[in-house]
Amino acid sequence: MRHSRGVNYQEMIIALERYWADQGCVLAQPYHTELAAGTMNPNTFLRCLGPRPWNVAYVEPVIRPLDGRYGENPFRFQHYFQYQVVLKPAPENVLDLYWASLEALGIDLKQHDLRLVEDDWEQPTLGAWGLGWEVWCDGMEITQWTYFQQLGGFDVELVPAEMTYGLERLAMFLQRKRTAFELEWAPGVTWGDVYLENEREWSRYNFEEAPVDVLTRRFDEHEAEARHLLERALPIPAYDQVLKCSHTFNLLDARGAISVTERAAYIGRVRKLARGVAEGYLELQGEDAVAAA
Amino acid sequence: MPSLLLEIGVEELPASACYEAEAQLPELARAHLGVTPDELYVGPRRLGFLVDDLPERTEDEWVKGPPEKLRDQAAAGFAKKHGVAVEELELRDGFLGVTVPGRPLRDVVPEQADRIVGGFSFAKSMRWDDGGTRFARPVRWVLVKVDADTVVGTTSFGHRFTHGPVEIPEARAYAETLRKNGVEPVASTRREAIVSGLDAVGGWSDPGSKLAEVVHLVESPIVLESRFDERFLQLPERVIVTTMQSHQRYFPIEGNRFAVVINGGEPELVRAGHTQVLEARLEDAAFTFERDVAAGIDEVAGRLGSITFFAGAGSFADKADRLRKLVEQLGGGDASLEAARLAKADQASELVREFPDLEGYIGAEYARLAGYPDAVTSAIEEQYLPDSAGGPLPQSEPGKVLAAADKLDTLRTSFELGHKPSGSRDPYGLRRAAIGLLRLALEGGLTIERALLPDDVRDFVEERLESLLELPVEYVRAARASKAADLGAVARRAEELYAQRDSSAFEGVYTAYDRAHRLAGKAADAAAGQLDPGLLKEDAEKALAEGLSKVAIEANGDLGAALESGAQLAPLMERFFDEVLVMDEDEAVRANRLRLLLDVRDTLGALGDFSQIPR
Repeated sequence: MRHSRGVNYQEMIIALERYWADQGCVLAQPYHTELAAGTMNPNTFLRCLGPRPWNVAYVEPVIRPLDGRYGENPFRFQHYFQYQVVLKPAPENVLDLYWASLEALGIDLKQHDLRLVEDDWEQPTLGAWGLGWEVWCDGMEITQWTYFQQLGGFDVELVPAEMTYGLERLAMFLQRKRTAFELEWAPGVTWGDVYLENEREWSRYNFEEAPVDVLTRRFDEHEAEARHLLERALPIPAYDQVLKCSHTFNLLDARGAISVTERAAYIGRVRKLARGVAEGYLELQGEDAVAAA
Repeated sequence: MPSLLLEIGVEELPASACYEAEAQLPELARAHLGVTPDELYVGPRRLGFLVDDLPERTEDEWVKGPPEKLRDQAAAGFAKKHGVAVEELELRDGFLGVTVPGRPLRDVVPEQADRIVGGFSFAKSMRWDDGGTRFARPVRWVLVKVDADTVVGTTSFGHRFTHGPVEIPEARAYAETLRKNGVEPVASTRREAIVSGLDAVGGWSDPGSKLAEVVHLVESPIVLESRFDERFLQLPERVIVTTMQSHQRYFPIEGNRFAVVINGGEPELVRAGHTQVLEARLEDAAFTFERDVAAGIDEVAGRLGSITFFAGAGSFADKADRLRKLVEQLGGGDASLEAARLAKADQASELVREFPDLEGYIGAEYARLAGYPDAVTSAIEEQYLPDSAGGPLPQSEPGKVLAAADKLDTLRTSFELGHKPSGSRDPYGLRRAAIGLLRLALEGGLTIERALLPDDVRDFVEERLESLLELPVEYVRAARASKAADLGAVARRAEELYAQRDSSAFEGVYTAYDRAHRLAGKAADAAAGQLDPGLLKEDAEKALAEGLSKVAIEANGDLGAALESGAQLAPLMERFFDEVLVMDEDEAVRANRLRLLLDVRDTLGALGDFSQIPR
């Protein structure tokens, strides 16, 4: 069992970076505004639209205010990490490439019980869905695996495969740890050393301090700006505003400021913007293609 | 006869897709190859079948051409199209045509295999490349063998991680070759292996019916037994069971034991991994459970004021207040009132956020831990019953009352806010609530006054009665118009009307009602507001009025007696119509006579709207 030595958190990330770089991926970097999933990074959401091939891998910090537990729950955090890989179009051996990435982390595929368990993915705020699995390693869900079918309400032209590794879960499996806070990040430094205080303070902010009236107003402002930018044919900056709308909505949700019926209306507003962005992005790509020809 | 194997290799199919494919495979084999499979192979990574005695050729096909009488005009063209001389055309039943000889089956198999792959229809399907095929998951290989000849593809594949490409020596050796390569391709054999493995462990259960799914989560099933730390036994049992079954597809055994079906790996290592995952999940549940219990159900209930039940319908605290009022109106006692106060408390608990399907149950557990009596806790637990068309009803009286109050409140507030279901859209489950309410009345024996339902809600609920009762709808509609006071009484009235439809008393009442209704029903505007005995002139109308005053109809009483009493009017009505002209020249007399007829109709109408019933 090669991994029984326990690969630490940063070595695990380095191993994934090395592996996917060798497979021809662009190693991108996290995005500069809050995202609830690596999928929302424009390197996935926008680049998966249109006819151009694109292979990318990156770490993404995900921010989910509602999941915070003040650092008191060993498995729940409002901030954690995903490792996101997108291969567009999905090559025929895409699953084999994925399994080999686990071997690169030191997981012996013959020694463990690895399974692909149906888990279809849907993100209503992005008008996006796909079919796929959660990957189980001895019962632990270590990766969310999706073949995108629609993004922003548009059918994908080339079907991308998206592999989203849950880095904390994967590390807990590799290091045989029962809580993320005890994971070794680097020699002598734990995940908790780096992020425990962060969890406490952000949980307080998300649940107690985030100003509802300001956020409510901000949502409207981001929405208006996104619309304006779409009119000006600037889908990429417009998309940032959509992401800010989405995060603002999540904060309002954590503050308990959104009722069941309002929720559907908010989601509808974000979805409409996301569709506008996808449409604008595809239009520009189409013009580029025409110009190139 | 030769044998044929067809195997479609796929990336891991969901269990539901496996069942869809299993149902479709035989028909696809018949439609595209004209064969009936002798064995089916269905599982996560492969679908296929074996045919033991393959015909050598497809059947000859008769292609019908032009009618014989058009031989001169059309025969040449038809013959040319089919590559034969005109004189070679055959004549059958007055038509010219050709017999296209069957082709060797192995020649047609490749194209037909493609048609089979493309012929499946899944509830959810996807694209994965630009080939245009849709399937539940990507298709990665197709293998067709006729005896030892490989007609399509190259090899099969064994277990995903322990065996690679596998040469199948001949079609009939398929299953046995795969078994040597870590794969059991026959679903029923895998199922038997799993069940016998579970039986060997003993005492297993499957309350969430996960076995059918697990059969298609593995190709090489091995059953392992394990134990989780006993300290998690403090958790409510259904929390543990849901964690095991819904999240991990494990099978609970008594106490802290469970069984897991794995697909390979080093058993000790894999068992330790699965156990750790389960314990981590239970740890997560225990964390929230302990926080809830430390707060206590009363304190948790105190948070309900800040949780919105429904935009426009206030908070869960408001809902609890309405429930208490409804419970009182439904005649509930102290236990149901206390249960109503605590019914929604678990909506404010952290554990229900994690296990939304266990709402009610978790509240009941918390109430039990806080020392509330059984009558209260079981009512809390049963408040959402019945939760499906044939689902069980609450067993306790307080449970029935609370369940009815909950459904009534949901219906009333939804209708008030304009969320009436339209077409197939019923996002708030109002049809289910209505049927649940009716079943509580009909099967549960709960008295639910119709006056508790606003008109639109009452119509909506009672419309469901038409499908719930196995009676011609006309009798249900008739009963809905009766003066029956509660939902159960409406149903009984419909049943009684139907049961007594052939009695002479029914006939008498029906005729009296019908004649009164036909004549006066549309002239209600012209009728007097009240009957004036002083205006009755003819003997026949005096007799009818007197007869009417003697009719004793108890709207909620025995229908037989009421019909007997009402039927006394039949001969009086007959005489009335023989002797009296309703449309008298004197307007006051006319209005009075119309009123008399309407009184007859309405008195009898307390039993139901007889005009709904066809005769």
